[in-house]
Amino acid sequence: MKSTASLTVELDGAGNSVVRRLRSMAPLTLVPRRRGSSATGGAVVHLVGSATSPLGGDDLSLRVRVGAGARLLLRGIAASLALPGHGPGGSRGSIDIDVEDGGTVEYLPEPTVVTSRAEHRAELSVRLADSARACFRETLVLGRSGEEPGGLVSSTSLERGGIPLLRHTFEPGRQRLRASHTHLGGARVLANEVVVWDRDPEPRSEADWALQPLAGGGSLTTVLTADTVTARRRLAEARAVHPSGGELTPVEPAE
Amino acid sequence: MTPAMSTVSLATLALADSRFPGGGHAHSGGLEEAVHRGTVSGSEQLAEFLHGRLHGAGAQAAVFAAAAAHAAARGVPPDHWSLLDAELDARTPAPAQRAASRAQGRGTLRAGRSALPSRALDELHATTGSPHHPVVVGVLLGAGADRSPADTAAAMAYLSISGPASAAVRLLGLDPFEANAAVTALRAETERIAAEAARTAGHRPGSLPATSSPALDLLAEQHQRHHREEGRLFAS
Repeated sequence: MKSTASLTVELDGAGNSVVRRLRSMAPLTLVPRRRGSSATGGAVVHLVGSATSPLGGDDLSLRVRVGAGARLLLRGIAASLALPGHGPGGSRGSIDIDVEDGGTVEYLPEPTVVTSRAEHRAELSVRLADSARACFRETLVLGRSGEEPGGLVSSTSLERGGIPLLRHTFEPGRQRLRASHTHLGGARVLANEVVVWDRDPEPRSEADWALQPLAGGGSLTTVLTADTVTARRRLAEARAVHPSGGELTPVEPAE
Repeated sequence: MTPAMSTVSLATLALADSRFPGGGHAHSGGLEEAVHRGTVSGSEQLAEFLHGRLHGAGAQAAVFAAAAAHAAARGVPPDHWSLLDAELDARTPAPAQRAASRAQGRGTLRAGRSALPSRALDELHATTGSPHHPVVVGVLLGAGADRSPADTAAAMAYLSISGPASAAVRLLGLDPFEANAAVTALRAETERIAAEAARTAGHRPGSLPATSSPALDLLAEQHQRHHREEGRLFAS
């Protein structure tokens, strides 16, 4: 299934962030939940996978634009499962986000579970204007409990004012690589959170997570754990020591 | 009958040699931290560590060494070196790894300016100050007479595992024969990674492949912290 959805959020005359354009296309459904000023968290849109997706053969893309001074929180609702399809070929999901000057985007999806026969490619590309802010996370669960993960390639590209801040491609690889202490050290869950805000943190390093200031600005938190509950807790710990962590929309604690 | 020409240049051999005075001996590539954690204690675990390192950090370094060699060989304007530098920074999220790469880059640049001087090397130095290790290696080999991005990538990939292997001998008192065998066991994979890196050598810096090794990033950051708090034998 090939599907393209799009979303534009802009400031209205009263200083509220409002959804100007929204096009859902199954299985990507966008549900506007709220409008609001930047101080109150801006516009909130939920991203709902309306069919079981992504499946092999799926090519899903979402384009997001946040206008000058506007703020958007794009939030996932449920974990997604990358499953094999009936047809040949893997699945692909791409998200392109552009944020204009003074705009803010937060993209907080739920975990993606990579099942054993999945062949999934996830691409996230974020382009920020010089004074734009962003926070986005990714949680990858490599196989359901006791299951080997299938193929996954997850790429992230982040630029601010045309300068690359982060280019990241992660592949879990074969069992031997996943077990290596340089790659995953046997962890089943890899979580990342990128924050490009007004202030950057000092490096912070613990055994299973690190808060890393990026060379060109912004930061990346990397977390490797056995389960998603611990991963979420580690991401919260990293936010707690990030100088801008208190300005990010809180993520509810794990169930 | 004419004797067969050697296909690997002396410059490549000299750079890959552990006696090249670029300061690589001060770096364990995360191995020291892994030893302290108890995850590497013998030659079998070393082999798994090196395998992971080659496919992660080694492949990433090979890509940039090949791209820098290609750029030096075709002749690029000096601002190309800033682009490559920023793109490798963006692919190196752990500050400790960026610092280790630049420290080895600095040492290699210093030794390389006497051993293999070139205009490209001077321009790299002038634009980036303290360049990343793979970019220096690429320029040293690409600016010379034998311009093979594949050999450059192979030398770089080899350096990404040979340093940690000799660090293992010092840290674990490992049999040097076994540590060396753990490196040569990876020769087919090293060559494959080098060939792949050579294939993308001419790409725009922004579209060069990225390879992440999340666990190595965590090791590098922990090493930095422990190096500061307790002191460590190696700089990385």
